Amino acid sequence: MTALFIKDKEFHDFVAALVGATPVYAPVAKRSLFAFERLVSADALRLDYDVTILPPKKLFFPPAQELLKFTGGKFTASVHPEEKVLFGVHFYDVKAIDQTDQLFAEKNYDVNYMAHRQATTIVASNIQKVSRRAFFGTVGQEVHPKGHDAYLTKIGTGYVFETFTPKGEALTKHGNFEPATDTQRAEVVKVNAAVLEQCPEKLTHKSAEIATKVRQAFKNEELWRECAVDCFSCGTCNTVCPTCYCFDVQDTWNVDQKSGSRTRYWDACLTESFATISAGGGHVENFREERGERFRHRIMRKASYLNPKLGGPACVGCGRCSSQCTADIADPVRIINKIMAL
Amino acid sequence: MSKPKVAFFDFASCEGCQIEFTNYGDKAFLELLNHVDVVEFREAMSETTTEPIDIALIEGSFTREADRARLEDIRRRAKIVIAYGQCAATGGINALKNHQNDYLPCVYGKDAGMPHLASQKALPIDAAIKVDYKAFGCPMNKYEVLQIISHLVHGKEPVIPDYPVCVECKRRETVCRFAEGDHCMGQVARAGCDAPCPAAGIPCEACRGFVDHPNIPALKKVLVERAGFSKARAESKANMFTANQLELKP
Repeated sequence: MTALFIKDKEFHDFVAALVGATPVYAPVAKRSLFAFERLVSADALRLDYDVTILPPKKLFFPPAQELLKFTGGKFTASVHPEEKVLFGVHFYDVKAIDQTDQLFAEKNYDVNYMAHRQATTIVASNIQKVSRRAFFGTVGQEVHPKGHDAYLTKIGTGYVFETFTPKGEALTKHGNFEPATDTQRAEVVKVNAAVLEQCPEKLTHKSAEIATKVRQAFKNEELWRECAVDCFSCGTCNTVCPTCYCFDVQDTWNVDQKSGSRTRYWDACLTESFATISAGGGHVENFREERGERFRHRIMRKASYLNPKLGGPACVGCGRCSSQCTADIADPVRIINKIMAL
Repeated sequence: MSKPKVAFFDFASCEGCQIEFTNYGDKAFLELLNHVDVVEFREAMSETTTEPIDIALIEGSFTREADRARLEDIRRRAKIVIAYGQCAATGGINALKNHQNDYLPCVYGKDAGMPHLASQKALPIDAAIKVDYKAFGCPMNKYEVLQIISHLVHGKEPVIPDYPVCVECKRRETVCRFAEGDHCMGQVARAGCDAPCPAAGIPCEACRGFVDHPNIPALKKVLVERAGFSKARAESKANMFTANQLELKP
């Protein structure tokens, strides 16, 4: 690992050189909010973003991803990964990417996800502005961000750029970097620790206690029914979540009725038909028919079920579900703290 | 199903969904005719049929009891009946009249008693006959219809979304109307359109109707609490394309 420093006034040139050399995806303004998009110029970069509408996962696992084309019995893969830099990822999203890396690698190794993931160099960045529903300071504290190639921290008159991999190291040739001093490195630690205390929302308990008590609340049907009274089953809490990874696969025929394509789409376990399965003979069975059952399933997945596999909760505290649920019932902090207080 | 016999029929509608069927473009439309045998389509041909058919595409809502016999005849002759477009699927725009009982004297004056004005509520065609599939939208989405027909040609079950428009907005990373102080009905509206309206900054009006089980009390609550609607406006908001589906009772 090396730690380098670049002055504010030279940082712009570094980003411009990067944009000139390789496709760069980074936070930019989108109407009143932010989104990770292809950076067309260094001026569009918004490292002062609070949180993006969708997590950067969309670059490896797109909302609609054509997997193959077919003609008769012949298939051609449609996944053509692009070598790129994902720039300015907050640490909670780095943690989430590390989770989807693990989940897409186990059992059926997902070549479609991995092809995009491996073609990507990830530059994380410190959080300059905390979003209004964030709780990353108190969730899954035992799990540390990993899998990124470099980490950028804004301090005083410039940025400290720490590299962890050869891919991260390679980016430094685009900028006028100098070695970071001990004082600057100490400042990095201070800045990144301080932001953890600034979250507007806080979990009252540790991951292990939460995992156990939430799991014990499984049969509290009254609780889940009440939580889900205003649920639209719209799936927004899933589709904006950086750790959700369910998908549906559909075939589309071209008009010639011989050729077509196979596409996978983000799916959402809060939607009504998610758990509908074929029961044979034209019959179907929905094993999570009630809103409360679907609501419970999400909380179980985020706070309990996956913990043994991931070493912590499948939630990173970005607050996207809380802020984007129009009925404002999806906030994991409110639900979990309520269960912990029972 | 090899080269199915397909016929179009229309009831109370503007017939725009049938016109839309001719809008695939010359090449695609002519290619499609290699795979389906259109035997009745009054927007595009003079021939009609009284023979059995494989797929009946019925446009328009069921607004007169007198139409029941014709609908039943189509059902008897057709292996598969598709409610084609929003009027047929849910009653569509026509169902707006279900909430009005004072317009006859106002609009027609002394002619308010003319016999052709006497009509029942505008209902979806499944109020009269069994419907196998619904092609939603005003007009229907012609690419979705193409997929429905393709799936039937290949003996597969068509996939018709019953999740809300929010899913498609998120897939496009559209800034939510509520995030900008506006209103929207995307949370209860049936998807399948790819959510073009919110992406253009326009609230969803649920032109494909509601999902199977819309949470209407929650919709009214959110329209009042987040979009600043009056209770009365929140109640009436959802009437345009969804009058037959709305449970206004608290």
